[in-house]
Amino acid sequence: MTVKTRPEPPGVGTPPAGSGPRISLGALRRIPHVGLIAVLAVVVIFTAAQSETFATDRNILNILGQISVNAVLAAGLTLLMTAGGMDFSMGSNVAVTAAVTAKLIAHGHATPLAVVVSLLLGTALGLVNGVVVTFTKVAPFVVTLATATLLDGVALLVHDGNTISIGQHMFTFGNEKVLGVPWLLIVAVVVLVATALVMRFTVFGRDAFAIGGNEHVARLSGINVTARKLTLYGLTGLLSGLGGVMLLARLGSSSPGSTAGLSLQLSVVAAVVIGGTSLAGGHGTVLGTALGLVLLGVVANALNLLDFSSNYQPVSVGAVLLIAAIANEMHKARAARH
Amino acid sequence: MTSLRDRGKGAAVPTGEEPAERDPQGTAPGAPVLRVRGVTKSFGGAAALKGVDLDLYPGEIHALMGMNGAGKSTLVQVLSGVHQADGGTVEVGGHVEHGMTVRRARRLGIASVPQRRELAMGLTVAENVLLGDLPTRGRAVRWKAVRDEAREALHALGIDIDVTRTAGSLTVAEQTMVEVAREVRRGGRILILDEPTACLSAEAAQQIRTLVRTLRDEGVAVVYISHYIDEVMAVADRVTVLRDGAVVQSAPAAEFDAGGLVRAMVGRDVVSRRAERPGPKDETGLAVRGLTDGRAIRDFSVDVRKGEIVAVLGPAGDAQSRLFDLLSGRRRPEHGELHVDGVPVPFGRVRASLAGGLRCVTGDRRALGLVQELSVDENLMLAGDRFARRRLHRRGHLARRAAPLRRTYGVVSLAGNPPVGALSGGNQQKVLLAKWLQTEPVACFLEDPTNGVDIAAMADIHTLVDELASRGVAVLLASSSPEEVMRLADRVVVVSAGRTVAEHDTTAITRDELVATALGGQAQ
Repeated sequence: MTVKTRPEPPGVGTPPAGSGPRISLGALRRIPHVGLIAVLAVVVIFTAAQSETFATDRNILNILGQISVNAVLAAGLTLLMTAGGMDFSMGSNVAVTAAVTAKLIAHGHATPLAVVVSLLLGTALGLVNGVVVTFTKVAPFVVTLATATLLDGVALLVHDGNTISIGQHMFTFGNEKVLGVPWLLIVAVVVLVATALVMRFTVFGRDAFAIGGNEHVARLSGINVTARKLTLYGLTGLLSGLGGVMLLARLGSSSPGSTAGLSLQLSVVAAVVIGGTSLAGGHGTVLGTALGLVLLGVVANALNLLDFSSNYQPVSVGAVLLIAAIANEMHKARAARH
Repeated sequence: MTSLRDRGKGAAVPTGEEPAERDPQGTAPGAPVLRVRGVTKSFGGAAALKGVDLDLYPGEIHALMGMNGAGKSTLVQVLSGVHQADGGTVEVGGHVEHGMTVRRARRLGIASVPQRRELAMGLTVAENVLLGDLPTRGRAVRWKAVRDEAREALHALGIDIDVTRTAGSLTVAEQTMVEVAREVRRGGRILILDEPTACLSAEAAQQIRTLVRTLRDEGVAVVYISHYIDEVMAVADRVTVLRDGAVVQSAPAAEFDAGGLVRAMVGRDVVSRRAERPGPKDETGLAVRGLTDGRAIRDFSVDVRKGEIVAVLGPAGDAQSRLFDLLSGRRRPEHGELHVDGVPVPFGRVRASLAGGLRCVTGDRRALGLVQELSVDENLMLAGDRFARRRLHRRGHLARRAAPLRRTYGVVSLAGNPPVGALSGGNQQKVLLAKWLQTEPVACFLEDPTNGVDIAAMADIHTLVDELASRGVAVLLASSSPEEVMRLADRVVVVSAGRTVAEHDTTAITRDELVATALGGQAQ
């Protein structure tokens, strides 16, 4: 945001003739995430022109369904990163909770019980991260990278080399629609909206900005930083547990070393960072994260429709992340100069 | 005696080969080394400099004074090539410089030492002095030569610092000295010092002033920026006062008196003299007993009655911030007791300290006071809303609660509710005070409340502190400024090396006696 520290002398405010287009550009720039929206629009228009399938209801719901799990994780990560934290283990938490839930259901336990266990397990794993980060002062990146690797291994141990199928359990939740909208998408939207409301309208959410902006100031201002951080890590764990259930419901089985784990984590982090949330804390919006999720989903879908090999998938995620990160940085530099 | 330039090129240059280019006494300056004529600079339609003239001679200390926003920083940035002037000329050594850049300024010998020190904190003093110019053999660094050359560079300016220490372990004053030595060694002929003595103890400030005089005697042209009137009167040869982007007066320092200087800066008289307050009550608001942290504070005790302002003079820098850390609960002392309103308050827990009614206002607002990214209003209410145990946050409500605070504390921002980092230093300081003092404290610890603010804001803040005491709050004030202590405090405790060395009633002592006690204490 530009801030004028002194009043403008009269007459300076009126722009000289011929600078009309620049003014409107400036006004455009003030729209939040305008760069991201522009890139998204370009990709959408280009793909729609190349492929007839792209702009169909079916395909769009397909895209949104595919990013639902990522969206649930990304919502939690946005809040955590805004508070200056980092959780690199959410994807691996998903792998473990999905495997454990599958195993419980496959062993004949009731599905609701398995789901509750999954959510509790996810929360507990998140809290472990939180406890280590809060009480040892080891950098969150290091702590959660370690737990991520560890949990990836645990997931492999749980699978013991086999794919665990849950048959028709949770089929409705994972694949059916209500009023034309997939259940998973509804859950994802609810989580995103709830996170956005928390960040905007609750003191808990504003505390996250304060902690991420300057932890010392937050603590001296009477904010219980330790409790807040534990809650935030617990929350990302809980959402990872939920993500695990959603992924399992969508796929109908959990297999060793597949979709979840660090690769899922990377695309979640990418979506959050593309959305403009600061790695250093203090800034973050759920809207940006949602746009980042959609952009990555659309690009993946476009590559698919345009018959690119799936090996281009990581290439596209990496390229989009790099471009978005550079664009965000340039935007910040411009804001700082004025 | 080698000239400074010789040293700048390293020890290998034999003495006397280069003729002295300047009159080392600086008494009969010929041509100015820097001549600024009619420089203008605007930012987005707002004129920051409106045709500034400035002549700078070798071997003179030229003080640059003005309020926050008067254009001092912009002028310095134009001189050092950070910003390009919109109009006017800058002449260095007789040549008009078009399109000054940072690199070009550096080559011309223009160096600035900013307020936030720029040393590589993990490296040694020696490496910092020679940074970018380490003596090597082949590609290997010759460490002995590094140490020797650095030692010599420091010695030439009369600085006594062990070159093998890391920069991070230095005091702020020592960091300033190292930075000055580095710039001089690089061939700095025009040195711009931005508030080099802010936040320093009397003794450390004295050392810096001695260094500045040494620089002058060596023929360096020093631009000296300071808010301290007395200091400028004592050290400067010439004073240029800026107001609203224009020079209002430029004359030899001897032609100014303190009152005239203030009038030139502010454009009116600023009255900041002792205010009549209701006397302190008999109840003790804040009691500190035997506080010891094993480092900077040793057996420190003080009693502050409600409605009384007690100043602690002397523990500048490190010890002062330690006192803040201990009282606010950020750090646990080795031993000691704290009573607020007669109730013991445990150390080491920020929230216990706050719940007890103690408010600690830091002197380091950037690191410990305000969240720079958050808006002015959010910073204003950051602590207050936590005490009120609010759960919901609404912008409209926030603005409505913050508005009276902005009025009471005189926080001026023209752009509505910007991030607090966009405000001037004085306004940020008012936000910081408002954030804490709105919460009806029993006792307050204020650490250098007027650090880096201009003279008008300083007077406003002094009034606020007076009002605080009038409301019956026990105020413990840590200050490095004797003027501030004399202006505000009922009693003053002089501390040296962590211990209380003297205690005075401020009505029974003059400013000079106070300074003498403080300096005497330092010397022990």
